[in-house]
Amino acid sequence: MIEVRNLSKYFGSRCAVDNISFSVEPSTIVGFLGPNGAGKTTTIRILTGYIPPTAGTAKVAGHDVVKESLAVRAVVGYLPESVPLYPEMRVYEYLNFRGKLRGMDRSQREAAIARVTERCWLADALRRPIGQLSKGYRQRVGLADALLHNPQVLILDEPTVGLDPTQVRETRGLLRELAADHPILFSSHTLSEVEAICQRILIIHEGRIIAAGTVDELKARVDGQRRVHAELKGPSREIGAAVQKLPGAEQVKVTSDGDWTHLELAAGSQTCQALAELAASRGWAVRRLHQETPSLEDFFVQAIIDARVSAGSGGRPAPLRS
Amino acid sequence: MRNVSAIMQRELLSLFCSPIAYIVMAGFWLVTGAIAVWNADAFGPGKPATLRDIFMWTPFILTIVIPAMSMRSISEEYRSGTFETLMTAPVSDTQVVLGKYLASLVFYGIMIAGTLIYPLLMEAFGNPDWGEVLAVYLGLLLLGVCFTAFGLFASSLTRDQAVAWILGAVPLMLLVLSVYSLVRRFEGWQRELVQQINIMGRFGQFARGQVGIDAVIFFLASAGLFLFLTVKVVESRRWR
Repeated sequence: MIEVRNLSKYFGSRCAVDNISFSVEPSTIVGFLGPNGAGKTTTIRILTGYIPPTAGTAKVAGHDVVKESLAVRAVVGYLPESVPLYPEMRVYEYLNFRGKLRGMDRSQREAAIARVTERCWLADALRRPIGQLSKGYRQRVGLADALLHNPQVLILDEPTVGLDPTQVRETRGLLRELAADHPILFSSHTLSEVEAICQRILIIHEGRIIAAGTVDELKARVDGQRRVHAELKGPSREIGAAVQKLPGAEQVKVTSDGDWTHLELAAGSQTCQALAELAASRGWAVRRLHQETPSLEDFFVQAIIDARVSAGSGGRPAPLRS
Repeated sequence: MRNVSAIMQRELLSLFCSPIAYIVMAGFWLVTGAIAVWNADAFGPGKPATLRDIFMWTPFILTIVIPAMSMRSISEEYRSGTFETLMTAPVSDTQVVLGKYLASLVFYGIMIAGTLIYPLLMEAFGNPDWGEVLAVYLGLLLLGVCFTAFGLFASSLTRDQAVAWILGAVPLMLLVLSVYSLVRRFEGWQRELVQQINIMGRFGQFARGQVGIDAVIFFLASAGLFLFLTVKVVESRRWR
């Protein structure tokens, strides 16, 4: 539904988006991650028809964003990062206005407003002037506006900023529901959120996409061994010696705690299983056996550092294996 | 067309929610009223029942008042970021500008309608020439059509309302005053040329009851020019 090919954007001589390509398929949620100033908002603004690209093409629902800008704007539901609203208008007045702009007649508007009011929990705030609302409510009004015309594609720039934890959770649930019918592209700083709801992730840094893939794919690419933590009941020295011999075990740390022995070691993929089998064969009770899994944050930080390192080594920095 | 109407309605709502609207209107009525009082001896018995004295300085007053009315129009959208939501909605830049322009015109019309009390008072105590009254109000409307377009143009140039007001008021003031005072220094074809942009002079014609088609075209064409320029400025904002 969203197709971006070799998209670039220069502001004067400054390159904000450097030759990126990606696509968003129907019924998927794609998360757009990146440090501040990476080019997320610029890319989003190009996709929503606000600014034109310097080079490359972008198509939303088959319409080119430059040549068929009005068609693109008609099918996109957009929530900008700053959630701009008119403070002097009441919520229902604002939604009514936006409905008119979308070409909806009165009955359509009324039905749509009822629908988004329920979905975005705005029932209490409908009659209040927007200027009096809290940030959370304003965010919901912005989201309601984006959903009003049942858009084919949703593009959200940091949709859960400023919401309280229950609202964040509910918004995520809402996004998951919506993704069944509409592809969603949203940008975020919150890695845990992206991990929780996105099927695919794009990581952008200094205008380039440095990684793309599903959450699991990206986590699997985190280098380094994963540490294993275990607690076994038995003589420390014997346990320590046996564990050292396990395949893949390195940097074994053994601490004694009464009857129990705490183990911490760097391990390969087979080590955990081997440790469990060892404990069973020697009759050592196991209280805890846990292998750390890499988090998305690990991948993100590693990807950014690698990108900066290769940028620092002069010449055109190579994108991370993608 | 519905888009233009939707934008116009929203703009009117916004105008009337802001204290500036009421202050501007009240200010205009107050100043016009003061001028009427100062010129009270022009309305003695036996003297012609005319609005000329009341509205003589109105073009100059409007160069200050109209930009104050329209200063918020586009600059506030830039400042609050709602410009982005407007530009990503399926409406064209022209529709946006037209909607805002019409809203300002409606506001101006209401403001001018408040001065209808003067011809009504004249009718109560005298025998005014309604043809002349009609001509005066046509002149006022055309002045508004022209100045409002310029005020909107000034508003599109900056994020800052105060700057928008200055950018609108100062050129208009300079034009109206300087041409009016300098026109006598020219002779022949040069004077002809300067008379084309002599706004006080053109309005003076309307005040005397003369509806010149050249004046009508002048005001409408200049409005058209500034509206066109406004659309271009708004379009250009996307490229920056």
